[in-house]
Amino acid sequence: MKRIISANNLLLVGIVVVGAAILGMATSGQFFGPVSMTSFFRFVSVPILIGLAQMITLCVGQLNLAVGAIGGVAACFTGVIVTSWGVPPWIGALVAVLTGAVLGLANGLLVVGTRINGFIVTLAMSQILIGVQYALVGTRTIERKAWPELAAFGRSDILGIPTIFLMTLVVAVIVALYFAQTVSGRKLLASGGNASAAQLAGISTDRALIVAHTLSGLLCGVAAMVSISFLPGVNTTVGGDWLLPSFAAPIIGGVALAGGTVAVLGTVLAAMVVRLVDAASPIFRFDAEVVNFVVGAVVLGTVALGKLREVQASRHASRIRSLRAEAALAEVKR
Amino acid sequence: MTVALEVRNLRKTFPGVTALADANLTLEAGSVHALMGENGAGKSTLIKIVTGVQGADSGSLILDGEEVSFANPLEAMAAGIGVVHQERNVVREFTVGENIALSAVPRRAGTVDWRRVWRESKRCLDMLDLDIDPRTPMRELSAAQIQLVEIARGLYRSAKVLLLDEPTASLSNDEAERLYTVVHQLSAEGTAIVLVSHKLDEVFAHCDAITVLRDGSTVMPSQPIADTTHDEVVSRMVGRTLADLEVEEREVDRTATPALELADVSTAAGHRRISLAVHPGEVLGMYGLVGAGRTELARAILGLDRVVGGEVRVEGKPVRIRSVRDALRRFRIGYVTENRKEEGVFLLQSITRNVAVTVWSEISRALGFVPGRAERSAVQAQIEALDIKISSQDQLAGQLSGGNQQKVSLAKWLAARTKVLIIDEPTVGIDVRTKRAFYELIWRLADDGMAILLISSDLAEMVTLADRIVVMDQFIVRGVVENTHDYPLMSAAVMSHIHGSSVEAS
Amino acid sequence: MSRLSHAARAEIRSPRALLVVLIVVLVTTLAILKPAFLNGPFVIAPLLTTIAIFTVVGLAQMVVLSIGHMNLAVGQLAGVGALVMGASFENLGVPLLVGLVLGVLASTALGALAGWIIAKTGVNSFIVTLAMSFTLLGLIPTLYKSWSTGQAFTVSPAGFEAIGRGTFADVCMFGYCGSNAVPLMVLPALGCMAVIWYFYTCTRSGREVLMTGSSVKAAELSGIPTARRTILAHALSGLLAAIAGFLLAASTGSFTPAIGSEFMLSSFLGPILGGTLLAGGLVSIVGTALGITLTSVIRKGLELFGVGLETLNVLLGVILLAALATDRLRLLFARRRPAKATESAATLAVELEEAEAHR
Repeated sequence: MKRIISANNLLLVGIVVVGAAILGMATSGQFFGPVSMTSFFRFVSVPILIGLAQMITLCVGQLNLAVGAIGGVAACFTGVIVTSWGVPPWIGALVAVLTGAVLGLANGLLVVGTRINGFIVTLAMSQILIGVQYALVGTRTIERKAWPELAAFGRSDILGIPTIFLMTLVVAVIVALYFAQTVSGRKLLASGGNASAAQLAGISTDRALIVAHTLSGLLCGVAAMVSISFLPGVNTTVGGDWLLPSFAAPIIGGVALAGGTVAVLGTVLAAMVVRLVDAASPIFRFDAEVVNFVVGAVVLGTVALGKLREVQASRHASRIRSLRAEAALAEVKR
Repeated sequence: MTVALEVRNLRKTFPGVTALADANLTLEAGSVHALMGENGAGKSTLIKIVTGVQGADSGSLILDGEEVSFANPLEAMAAGIGVVHQERNVVREFTVGENIALSAVPRRAGTVDWRRVWRESKRCLDMLDLDIDPRTPMRELSAAQIQLVEIARGLYRSAKVLLLDEPTASLSNDEAERLYTVVHQLSAEGTAIVLVSHKLDEVFAHCDAITVLRDGSTVMPSQPIADTTHDEVVSRMVGRTLADLEVEEREVDRTATPALELADVSTAAGHRRISLAVHPGEVLGMYGLVGAGRTELARAILGLDRVVGGEVRVEGKPVRIRSVRDALRRFRIGYVTENRKEEGVFLLQSITRNVAVTVWSEISRALGFVPGRAERSAVQAQIEALDIKISSQDQLAGQLSGGNQQKVSLAKWLAARTKVLIIDEPTVGIDVRTKRAFYELIWRLADDGMAILLISSDLAEMVTLADRIVVMDQFIVRGVVENTHDYPLMSAAVMSHIHGSSVEAS
Repeated sequence: MSRLSHAARAEIRSPRALLVVLIVVLVTTLAILKPAFLNGPFVIAPLLTTIAIFTVVGLAQMVVLSIGHMNLAVGQLAGVGALVMGASFENLGVPLLVGLVLGVLASTALGALAGWIIAKTGVNSFIVTLAMSFTLLGLIPTLYKSWSTGQAFTVSPAGFEAIGRGTFADVCMFGYCGSNAVPLMVLPALGCMAVIWYFYTCTRSGREVLMTGSSVKAAELSGIPTARRTILAHALSGLLAAIAGFLLAASTGSFTPAIGSEFMLSSFLGPILGGTLLAGGLVSIVGTALGITLTSVIRKGLELFGVGLETLNVLLGVILLAALATDRLRLLFARRRPAKATESAATLAVELEEAEAHR
């Protein structure tokens, strides 16, 4: 419980509340209208999912640059098999998730097998997958009338809250429980927190890396499925703008870059903050690119702050040492 | 008395170095058995083999009368062998209980059975009379508490044998006492304990038997402590080659202005009122145990940490050293680091670059141009002066032996013509013959007028080399003693300063 | 053994030799299969232009790799430089050199800023440059919109077109004119290579940058001002990125927001294929150029065969992975042998890592 009510999370909740209030006032309350709210929650689902996907790789000290590419290939592959091979849409949705997991597994196996820096592996994979994505759909867009059931799912809501958002929340809860309660999740955190301590305790850090990348890919697959259900169609642009939000959410949400921690609530809240900034752009009439600018700057600030806190901690340790030294001096004088 | 563990003729080699040649040890149940030896004698390798981190090339381990061999640490743990390493190795993001149970987390259908985690870990903590709630985050504990938790972790799988590697290295006196109380409690309950330590006084106070390793072989096999003396142990540890070393009686002119002087210096790292002075031609030793603050003091002298009180004087004049570059170029102070592989040499760079790195700023001309020939000849001079064995200056430092790497690490300071040299733990991981060559090298440098500040935790080394010994502990100077080169007397004098009481020499 | 034969043997075993062989094989194969490949002004000249531009891009990443960092903002730094140059040409009407200098200053300053943040806060270079790249990604189109008409700068000062489209056929001395297959653009590229080569081989700062890349801690303790060298490396990266952006704009004839968007993958591929260590401490200028040449020839070949750009990306990604994996694979198949003097730093690095893992 203590972790959930952390200072960082409280700050984020505060920002969400204040931000929503500002938008509400600027639109004379229209922001809180049913259409606007539904749209907001619908469009925050993918940022949350990809933020969680990145969070999982971050917790073992890795980076996943292929978040967008995995999602794009999963979405387009599903699009192709539903339209060209007549696969029922719901199976297609499942295939999207599985494709993500398989691609994530490939990343993990490459990183462990070749011992190459995870950044380069996922960078190379993202280039490869972008090519694959083009090979799948080329310049056309597969429209959503090919999967009416999924599109209906994407439009549906329960008591005004979009179903895909509720599903996303369920996924978030599952992820949180995975890391808090399952042995597998704790092993991932141990590997990321202190790899040598984990190894001495018999935990295979290699396996942890593979599992982390696979789960990351799986969540990208879920994000792909969600995208299919509410986008007008799939083409090569799916996943193209996923990279920054996937990092921004966990970093602003309080996940350490070195690994060993997760922050599901923080990631969800941070994704909402980023989404609020996005929603503000048409209201306050600044370009979508300014959002990139702001988010980039905030990420920079958050990381710099985190390092500052580390410096303060070491100064604290020095202070304790000097106090001890004073005491020891007094002893010697006696 | 039953034999809990027997190590027979263990041998282990790595490419280029024999870590263990013929190691033997007989550990009785319920005893506290000391394992001693110089750095590089093979203690860590022995521990790694017993705890399943590495396999031996030949020889056998016999646990409770049965021959065993461990493929990984888990197997050793399951067999009842626990270990607390010298370096803290915990997952700071987890709680105390989870760290203790890490090697075998109680589970129920894939999820963690937290209730059992807290219960089992509490059991281990209670065994040691530790009043720590297993739900406490690891981050909130002090270094000493973390060490005790690691002992609890070592007991988690009901350890028959517990290995402690330098357990009191960074503990205060009270904390060390607390630790030994726990150790005796455990041995009374039947656990066999192996204590790796270089603190002779602690070993003689708390252990029942002692085994000494030197150059990978057992030179004092499982001797009851009552049957041996400080002197004998030390001489077994250092061996004939060093014990017979002709110690130079050198004249040091203490009336000259000190090359480097600290007057009541306090630092941001925590030092308080440090006073010492090194004269040209003098070897001033700084003795202390790990955590005494000596390396941190060196870093402060070099400008890597702030001096917040007192004065640093170079050749009598008060100075403010702002960076390592400052220390080198303005005051000709150099520092040979203890961590050779990561801080002393650039493993993947050529010998030329490794040695010339400190002189580039001097020999470079317009636009920063470095004349290649001047660079190589400056380096060649040092290679010859120090007799470094290389096939060509283009060789990469990582291809050299440990001893030659250490020489390269030293060479760059000589190339820069430093006048004050701080040498930090110079002979860690170096074989005895090269060690001797190093000692002679240090004396030669001092004879040529270099002021040397020697940091070492090896008392035998200190007693051999230094003219005077500054004793440090807990970031202050406890005392300064003139070195008579008589080990038992010096050991007693030094220890009395550290423990704050007078101890009669045996 | 003399130093010369030492060096020669090291060269033969280096990745550069392999690259040369691959390039020669590819070029020959292409020439045979598609004689159109040897068309001077329409195939070779554009190919050499691409090689020139992307060699500078590769150098921009190489200087950051040398210190053990990564620069994900290479493309955006080029874009900012191009933006400032275009704006100064069009809105301020300055001559070629002035605009070039202004753009270079802007990118260099931003690079230095990134280096400063990394040095002062200790944050991973990946994150800092990633955040910077997105910050700039937002800034560039916005500024293009407000400063230019139609989201591009098309005013070209005197000399611009000559650099961009000119070939040696325009250069005549003693009655002989050069080939029209060799664009003038190779000159600035060669110039950058020469300057960077001089920097690393002959100057003190260059050596200190490499030492910092090899081991930051050892560099600190040897008296190297590591923070300053970090800032220097990142600033150089910005400088080279701006030059690459300028060359690209010159080749297309205008300054647009898209400049730099295709730089990232090549910026890593070139140096890594050429033997520059990802971990820092070892660079190869010639290797970077050869790596870029190989990938550009592959790209041109695929173009001639009508294969799409996407396949190229897939191929390049695979090549990147393969290039990095070869050091590992080489160790796997080689028997344990005593270290020889001609052993490369890359192989030694892998050996040392494996030794550590088994300790």
